[in-house]
Amino acid sequence: MNDSFGASIALVRDTFREAFARKIFWGLFGLSTAMILFFLFLLRIDVVEGGLAAFQMFGQTMSPRTDVDRLVRGVYAGIATFQYIWGVFLAVFASAGLIPSVLEPGRIELLLSKPISRVHILLGRYVGNVLVVACNIIYLNLGVWTIVGVKTSIWSPMFLVSIATTIFIFAVLLSVVVLVGVLFDSAALSIMIAVALMIMSPILAQTSTMLRLLSSEWSRQIWRTLYYTLPKVYDIGKMTMDAVQNRTFGGYMPIWTSAVFAVVILAGALTIFARRDF
Amino acid sequence: MTSEYAIQTSDLTKVYRSRWKRREVRAVDGISLQVPRGTIFGFLGPNGAGKTTFVKMLLSAVHPTRGSALIFGQDARIPESRRPIGYLPENHRFPTYFNGTGMLDFYAALSGMDSTQRRKRIPEMLELVGLEKWGSLRIGKYSKGMLQRLGLAQALIHSPKMLILDEPTDGVDPVGRRQIRDLLTQFEEKGVTIFINSHLLAEVEQFCREVAILDHGKVALSGKMQDLTAGKGYRLSVAQVPEALAEELRGRAASMTSRNGLFDFQFATRQGANEALDLLRAQQCEIESLTPTTSTLEDVFVRTVEK
Repeated sequence: MNDSFGASIALVRDTFREAFARKIFWGLFGLSTAMILFFLFLLRIDVVEGGLAAFQMFGQTMSPRTDVDRLVRGVYAGIATFQYIWGVFLAVFASAGLIPSVLEPGRIELLLSKPISRVHILLGRYVGNVLVVACNIIYLNLGVWTIVGVKTSIWSPMFLVSIATTIFIFAVLLSVVVLVGVLFDSAALSIMIAVALMIMSPILAQTSTMLRLLSSEWSRQIWRTLYYTLPKVYDIGKMTMDAVQNRTFGGYMPIWTSAVFAVVILAGALTIFARRDF
Repeated sequence: MTSEYAIQTSDLTKVYRSRWKRREVRAVDGISLQVPRGTIFGFLGPNGAGKTTFVKMLLSAVHPTRGSALIFGQDARIPESRRPIGYLPENHRFPTYFNGTGMLDFYAALSGMDSTQRRKRIPEMLELVGLEKWGSLRIGKYSKGMLQRLGLAQALIHSPKMLILDEPTDGVDPVGRRQIRDLLTQFEEKGVTIFINSHLLAEVEQFCREVAILDHGKVALSGKMQDLTAGKGYRLSVAQVPEALAEELRGRAASMTSRNGLFDFQFATRQGANEALDLLRAQQCEIESLTPTTSTLEDVFVRTVEK
């Protein structure tokens, strides 16, 4: 059991090492740092008795059009949206190479020669990859949350929900990256398919409209199947925005169906990896 | 772990099938092989004979189509069966983001060593392979020979009971080769089984106790090195041999070659060589030399794969 735990730690650490040997991950952290610095130095907010007395960006005083609470929620929503869409896209882009690299001839044989199961090897890489990206997401969100909180004295814990949802949707998309990586050893194809799922999601989410527009029952059935089967990147993003802005949202179906999708895809990837010859 | 054999395979077969073209390649064809514990075993064969596929099946990197493989009596498909194995693959590709120490630490952790054991063992291993000064250098900057030695340290770090080495001296200079050979001999003395897949026949002949020669996926020949190379004989070099006599001796000899008027006859027995000598002396032929010879592993190998 201890051996197994030690091997798991080694596999996760190896993923961290490889991730940080790739400049693209430093780019991700650099981008997060730039955003944190932006809020640290360029956002000036003076609050008097709960109202917005002065609001400066880039040193220019802006007209206070709203109260501080709304402004802060707007800032959080902007950050959460940016991170949810662009952060996840960049994370998928950065991660896509981490699966094919471990399957390279001359490297995989050595890993397989160790007394650990194939499931262990692939899950170690998957978990390591999720943790690397989670570090970046937590770093950015906590950084912005702390700075905005200190400057406004408004601490909105609901913003931290976006940490969980962004990590979750990345983990879902990473399962696709892992499956495509194991099947085709191709980082480019992994990115294409993961991004295609991101793009398809807002289209598929227009279910009620599309079901009215589609003329045949079978096409409506296909639409429903696709909507309920594929990960709901858009719906979960919308849930995140609602949560950050203290709005109510309807049900957790997008989360659990996406979780089921990730589990099935990951199980498929593990099965294929376990059966493959190297 | 009570088996007297380090490796035991039965009818081990691997057939690769192309999905679309329905073509079949029988890479390994029903190999039943037994490698006793504590020996140095040479696994030879021409390119494409199936050596690497066989080794990969032992490590469960390739799934057999048929048959079974046991490592120290344990089914090779079980991860635990690989605990007593140290493996150095051919054309290894160690991640270049590691330095020497980090690389050993990673593979040692995967082999089940805890951090205390690793901290103690890593400097010892680096020293053993002569890389003690280079442990902190990124392995992207290592020469091929250094990488090979680091790979060997990786295979040895967890004190395995068996080493499976694919071309262990590939890219290593002659001095380094000698060092690796000496090192492996030390491990043999400690009872470690060493299974070597190599093209360097002279090297295999020097330090392997047993060999198997693979051809077209099957074991074409196997046995103890001393038995396989014991094909003793006599080489008779003679000048000015009349044509008729040369023809007669060609029939008696195992082989005959001639160049610039000098004939080389190879006789399998001393009696055959003496009879030929009598015939040659009777016709006033010039005897250049008479030399006892033994078969080299290369002779055995070429004879086996050319059959």
